[in-house]
Amino acid sequence: MNIFTPQIRSGIRDLRRRLFGGTAGRQRRDFKVLFERFREVLELHNTAADRIADIGEKLSGEYIFDIVYIRQAYEELYRTFSAFLERFSVLTDNCYAELGSRLERIDHDVRQLINEDETPSDDLVVPLVDARMNRLRDVGGKMANLGELGSLPEITIPQGFVITTRSFDEFMSLNRLTDKIADLSVPGEIDPATLAALRSAVCSGALPPGVRDAVTGALAGMVDGTSHQLLAVRSSAVGEDGEYSFAGQFETVLNVPADAASLAEAYKTVIASLFSDRAFHYCKTIGCNPTGIRMAVGVIRMIDAAASGVAYSSDPGGTEGQMLINATWGLGTSVVEGQVDADSYRIARSPQAVMCERRIGAKETMVVPALHGGTTVMKTPDAIVNKAVLDDRALTTLATQALSIEGLFHRPQDIEWAIDRSGAITILQTRPLPLRPAAETGATGAAPAGLPVFQTFSGISVRRGAGAGTVFIAASPDDLDRFPKGGVLVSRHDSSHFIRVMPYASAILTDQGTPTSHMASLCREFRVPTLVNCGSATTVLRNGQEITVMIKEKEAQVYEGILRDLVDGGNNEAIEELYEFRKKKFLLRYILPLHLVDPFRDDFTPNGCSTLHDILRFIHEKMVMKLVSAAEQGLTDRTAVHLDLPVPAGIVAIDLGGGLSLPEHAKTATMDSVSSVPLRAVLAGMTHPGAWHTEVVALHAGDLLAGMMKLADITAPSASMPMTNLAVVSREYLNLSLKFGYHFTLLDCYCSPNRTNNHVYFRFSGGATDLTKRSRRVRLIESILTTFGFVCQIQGAVITARISNRDEDEMIAILNSIGRLLAYTRQLDAVLHNDESVERYTGNFLRGDYRL
Amino acid sequence: MNTPYRIMIIDDEKIVGDMAKLSLEQEGYEVETFLNAAPALERLQTLPFDVVVTDYKMKGIDGMEVLTTVKRLYPQIKVIMITAFANLDTAIEALRGDVHDFFPKPVKIKELKASIRKALNIPA
Repeated sequence: MNIFTPQIRSGIRDLRRRLFGGTAGRQRRDFKVLFERFREVLELHNTAADRIADIGEKLSGEYIFDIVYIRQAYEELYRTFSAFLERFSVLTDNCYAELGSRLERIDHDVRQLINEDETPSDDLVVPLVDARMNRLRDVGGKMANLGELGSLPEITIPQGFVITTRSFDEFMSLNRLTDKIADLSVPGEIDPATLAALRSAVCSGALPPGVRDAVTGALAGMVDGTSHQLLAVRSSAVGEDGEYSFAGQFETVLNVPADAASLAEAYKTVIASLFSDRAFHYCKTIGCNPTGIRMAVGVIRMIDAAASGVAYSSDPGGTEGQMLINATWGLGTSVVEGQVDADSYRIARSPQAVMCERRIGAKETMVVPALHGGTTVMKTPDAIVNKAVLDDRALTTLATQALSIEGLFHRPQDIEWAIDRSGAITILQTRPLPLRPAAETGATGAAPAGLPVFQTFSGISVRRGAGAGTVFIAASPDDLDRFPKGGVLVSRHDSSHFIRVMPYASAILTDQGTPTSHMASLCREFRVPTLVNCGSATTVLRNGQEITVMIKEKEAQVYEGILRDLVDGGNNEAIEELYEFRKKKFLLRYILPLHLVDPFRDDFTPNGCSTLHDILRFIHEKMVMKLVSAAEQGLTDRTAVHLDLPVPAGIVAIDLGGGLSLPEHAKTATMDSVSSVPLRAVLAGMTHPGAWHTEVVALHAGDLLAGMMKLADITAPSASMPMTNLAVVSREYLNLSLKFGYHFTLLDCYCSPNRTNNHVYFRFSGGATDLTKRSRRVRLIESILTTFGFVCQIQGAVITARISNRDEDEMIAILNSIGRLLAYTRQLDAVLHNDESVERYTGNFLRGDYRL
Repeated sequence: MNTPYRIMIIDDEKIVGDMAKLSLEQEGYEVETFLNAAPALERLQTLPFDVVVTDYKMKGIDGMEVLTTVKRLYPQIKVIMITAFANLDTAIEALRGDVHDFFPKPVKIKELKASIRKALNIPA
């Protein structure tokens, strides 16, 4: 994108002639050259920012894309960045040379992800720290997720390695099992005896020598010889068709002695579980060909766990804004399988980790390592049966870690953890938690006006949301054969048999049941709105009745008939579960997140740039600073002056000529000394009575979290001290770079008596709130700017707008409004709680009512 | 719901079929995906479909050939073309072949769903 049209370029040339033509001194010319280069870099900056926003939007789950798009879009992005960096290096005499190597590093990682399909690895074993998403096909989803956590400095993952899918292929080939597995892919039921024979063949098979050697070598690197070590051997399957959780479908062998023979046995046990009746049934149900699954196996050091448990970074059925941590003594198996009355802690999803609810369970038994391998259940010592497993400190640490992990994967996580006897926390597993706030699944929680609720059931929600369809009351598993697609399943008890119809069910209601059952997990996985323990659904509802169900935290409201409006909600979550999609989308991790926000922090360095967005931000900041310092060093006959305004906008102005009327060597300028027409207009708007709010608008916990996922530290004091806002001005020209909190604005405008030269380019991005609210703010800005005649383009949470060819008076009025808008929207997104509020605040603004 | 409309997706990239299948199944359609056109056209001989969504550029039988074959043998089936190589010529060519709709990739899922609803005369 070229933000400067030929007309604008001609205007700039004209401006340049008038400003510098023939009479200016050398210093002024130097600054002119610098400013032109600055604008070139700025142009590339905007192109890069547009491309980043475009990729983010296309990979949001709302579009069907292919690899051709990803390749092309990334190539364009990389080319833009290369040019951007090159120009920036010239501008800054290459004093940030490390940026080049940062870009190459990011480029390497992205290309590995993009080309992953074409370059299968020959590695038989991969260290856990290297098991990343770009090696998903080698190491499987479970281990790739765990390995990715290694990139978070605050998280400890166990030492270990992964026996890759390549090893799996070699094992099957050596033991002549490859063809036998292929034979299973014929349609129809598989004879359990055939599967049993396969499992037996795997367990009696031999490890290929190459695999054996690689595993022995990796094991030797792990065993330090100082103590008797034990291993956990875990499945990490790579699905052929879809990336599902495979939760609990395959074996995990715990407490395995760290010697090659024991490990080989455990390895075979794990890969044999691929051919269990249960796993085959699961695969068929989710429409995935089980014979296409390849099994990588994680070998990790057992933690001598004093306590273990599960943390859901967002409470699946509970109150929004809370996370759930379950904990028990010893190993965590009993929590995962729901066999113990574990402690349960509900904690606010905020940096302070405020406790919302603490329930201490009676943990009568605990799972511990058995003497000769495996695990055993023992009675919990009386003194600790009813004792809280986690103290406040451990809870705060766990809660913080859970949010970091969620931030890394950009979605709520189901995390297994263990605490050793020294109190150190190790993360053992993390996987996406299939849930989404009701508001985003189409169920707004508000009863539609005028529609009578036919029935309200009280119960426990497993998954909130709305579903509509024909009631089907299942009395026995055999009934499920007649289940109509899209039906609402109603049953007396919950049952894991429901998996057969789970992909087709719109909603599930059960008279009895618990939210931690196997069925409940499946409901979350298949995103079926479900309420359990609701008492009388089977007696109140009739077979064949058409209903719409809205499931909230503790109840389900039932409406008669199919209410499409309630159900349709643009739910992209299913798309996000797709293996290919997740893999491709993961490359956004190297592009989109912004970690570098605050230029006053120590990590605001080239080496602190871990994404393309970081590089963009870093360069923009340094460009602005370069201009300011050039001005301060006397490269122009005006130094940079601070604008002394009635509002704390923190703007530094550099005058190219005629923009400021000041005595020589003045360090500050008041409004009265601003003679730049466009800057005067913008400042008049910004300081308009009531437009600039000084009070802090409270952010919701979710907003804060959304901000923290992207921002280094929302509470850093310097984040509120914008001293690098820069206005480069002449009498008729303004180039304004603004950062208010987390909003970045660029305004480039020319305002003269000659209307053909006049233009405004406006760009607005950023925001600490969640994406929904940021999008609302962008929509608000769009509707306001459209009213003024701007042509707007929105990409994600970024808006660009243009207007040109207007009379000077009209331009001044427009720029005044933009000044008000900039002041007004500083904190506005924090109050845009729903779509209706966009309309309201737009109307208020246009009427001159600036109250928040 | 008991007799859902049947949609066929033909695209040589698995991710396209996967994403389309998931999105359309959420709408209650029955969806089958194919990585190339030959088996897809064979399938049409055994099972009636209501809409075929096909990629334009594929190895072997390409999208235009799918369009002309489907229109010749099963004129009642609506064909939607998607392509990463969109230009005016391909669009005109497809329109002449009586394509129901034509989308450049990436395809906005909401628009594809709307197009299919329109093809099937389902009110929005």
